[in-house]
Amino acid sequence: MHRPIRAIAASGFMISASVLSLATILPASSAAATVSGKKTVVTVWSWFIKSTMDKAIAAFEKTHPNVVIRYSYYNYSPQYLTALKAAAASNTLPDIIGLQPGALTQQYRPYLVPLNRLAEKTWGKNWESRLYPVDIKQMTMGNPPGNSGMYIMPQESQVICLWYNTVAFKRLHLTVPTTLPELVHDAKVLSSHGYIPMYQGAAGAWQNENVYLMLADQLAPGLIDKAQYGKASWTSPALVKAMTVWGSLFHDGVFQSGALGDQAYPTGAQLFADGRVGIMALGSWWLQEDRYPPPLPPLVKNMKGFAPFYFPAIEPHGHPSPPVGGVDVGDGLTKAGAKIPAAWQFLASLVDGKGEQASLNDLNDLPAFKFFEPTIPLTAHMKSIYNGFLVKLSHAHNQRFAYPVIENAFDNALAAVAAGTESPLAALKKVQSVTVSTFHS
Amino acid sequence: MPSRALAARRHARRQRPFHHLFVLPALAIFALFVAYPIGWVAYTSLFAVSLHGVSHWAGLGNYRSVLDNPTFWIVVRNMFYWALITIPVQMVIGGLLAWAVEEYTHRSRALFRTLFFVPVITSVVVIAIVWSNIYAPYYGILQQGLSEIGIHFQTALLGSAGTAIFAIIIVNVWEWTGFSMLMYIAGLKTIPVQLLEAARMDGASGINLARFVLVPALSGVNRSLLLLGVIGTLQTFPLVFLMTDGGPDHASEVFGTYIFRHGFVLGQTGYASALSVVVLVIALVMTLLQIRFLGSKFSLKG
Repeated sequence: MHRPIRAIAASGFMISASVLSLATILPASSAAATVSGKKTVVTVWSWFIKSTMDKAIAAFEKTHPNVVIRYSYYNYSPQYLTALKAAAASNTLPDIIGLQPGALTQQYRPYLVPLNRLAEKTWGKNWESRLYPVDIKQMTMGNPPGNSGMYIMPQESQVICLWYNTVAFKRLHLTVPTTLPELVHDAKVLSSHGYIPMYQGAAGAWQNENVYLMLADQLAPGLIDKAQYGKASWTSPALVKAMTVWGSLFHDGVFQSGALGDQAYPTGAQLFADGRVGIMALGSWWLQEDRYPPPLPPLVKNMKGFAPFYFPAIEPHGHPSPPVGGVDVGDGLTKAGAKIPAAWQFLASLVDGKGEQASLNDLNDLPAFKFFEPTIPLTAHMKSIYNGFLVKLSHAHNQRFAYPVIENAFDNALAAVAAGTESPLAALKKVQSVTVSTFHS
Repeated sequence: MPSRALAARRHARRQRPFHHLFVLPALAIFALFVAYPIGWVAYTSLFAVSLHGVSHWAGLGNYRSVLDNPTFWIVVRNMFYWALITIPVQMVIGGLLAWAVEEYTHRSRALFRTLFFVPVITSVVVIAIVWSNIYAPYYGILQQGLSEIGIHFQTALLGSAGTAIFAIIIVNVWEWTGFSMLMYIAGLKTIPVQLLEAARMDGASGINLARFVLVPALSGVNRSLLLLGVIGTLQTFPLVFLMTDGGPDHASEVFGTYIFRHGFVLGQTGYASALSVVVLVIALVMTLLQIRFLGSKFSLKG
């Protein structure tokens, strides 16, 4: 049988395909909170680890028997970002959405309600004093002038650091590097013994940002924060110097060969957990590896093969990088969710209640509210690491960006310098140009 | 006869109003799923969002920004690489495989067909992870094998701006060649046995048989694969997204990842819509060119 396929039909396919990424703004699900029988249903979307969220939900539902929490877990990108966009366009966002402070929160701010009043009502007038300063700063990042609304409530906090493989270091008689030349030396020794020196998932952006922030905040604390708001130049000598050091990490053998094609998760984390990597830029969340279901790699159990440190001093008589961090993951209450009291009650429990305690007991990350801590037994080594992070968190520098366009330009600059396609100054000039045009548009 | 013809014409005239109704479902589906999205995207492409999220009229500003952005031209270059390499290579290898499987396997024919087709039905996520691990310079399967004979990569295939797009193209060829093979097998089945026997009796074999008999007889398959290849090129997304996310430094960026980044990560819906309209125009031009030079009918036959 001769069955012709009309080219016009094929062109229809092409047309559909070419607009598919933006045109499928159809209702993702019936996400609005409803009353199911006698029970109130609260819908929650996030990329927050499901097993931990399930524990938080179980703890909440136990004390709120008339509430059912329906949690939808997504991988952050592309699934979560796509789902949020589609749901926002079709007005079917759930009651609570997981957010990162700054760019992502700003993108969905029109669909969210400010949480200041609810927080004050729940925790009293001085509720902000129970939060870490860096978290408070990030909760209003990117708001229009005069808008002090907090559209995100931190669920967990984090501190960025470097972790090293204590077993490998001991075996090779290496000491924790305190200067950049020592780091380069350690990397060479690690490489010559078959280890990946410092694993960098430079194909993604977040780990690149974190390492650069450590460098920049070491040379000029807080300068990058001013630069992202257009109050300082991206081409300031300290930021150029930090960018130069960033590029050198790729060319001096500190990062693994081919780092620009590698991802931190899952590949890097698996190699690190298996003991095949010397150093990796991660953060306080690395502790959670200990709580994963068995079998655990030997180094991971009780973190006995790992310890944190901060980026070594760049200048000859300098100091290691100060802690960088802030909100790991937060939550926002949508306009639909604001109509359901149980939605705020659940959100509040995630940040300051049984939900938060369940997360902390999974060592998922650091608490959003002070004075919370895991209630499970921890070894002295883990307890010491955990408490060390809490101390650092109280004076951590901001790690987040307020505006996605500027963050993207910055990510491009990091990638260009790493790939050797642009000089540090030229790359930062482009970021400066985007920043200037963004604030003047 | 004349009265019968007259009656038929009257009957047709009576039925004519209802003929149009049969088109309505197709028109409705077209309007909802093709025309409306295109209209929406075209309309949205004329707006931009300010720093604090206020949407405002931008006219053709988004289009100017798209064309002024050097990354856009990297994307265009990559799409040309993708089409120019994947389509002919998949067709040639697929054709050779089809011929080899059909001509030289007998009892094991189904097994070979299945084996070569497995990559097509394998999850793209699995393919991306496996090939990323094959390419990895430190711990990669390819590097470990080559190390045995003293070869060490000087650059990482996915981590180097000069090789990333080609490394992914190789994976794409590996994934989709089985589909080309299947199409050619179907095409070969439509060639009359008498034609092949006659050609052989006339002394045609090898290159001559392929050039003067098989290729012309399979021209329908060739046209279909060309068309599907162009569509596939414009739709490319998951493999690139999973293996490099368009990096390093946009070196492997394709339309899919570029539109996704602006639309979903950066929240620049207007800019992403303008990009989508540009892709739409490219698709239409490609379609018109194909209709002009290859005709509008496609089939497995020549």
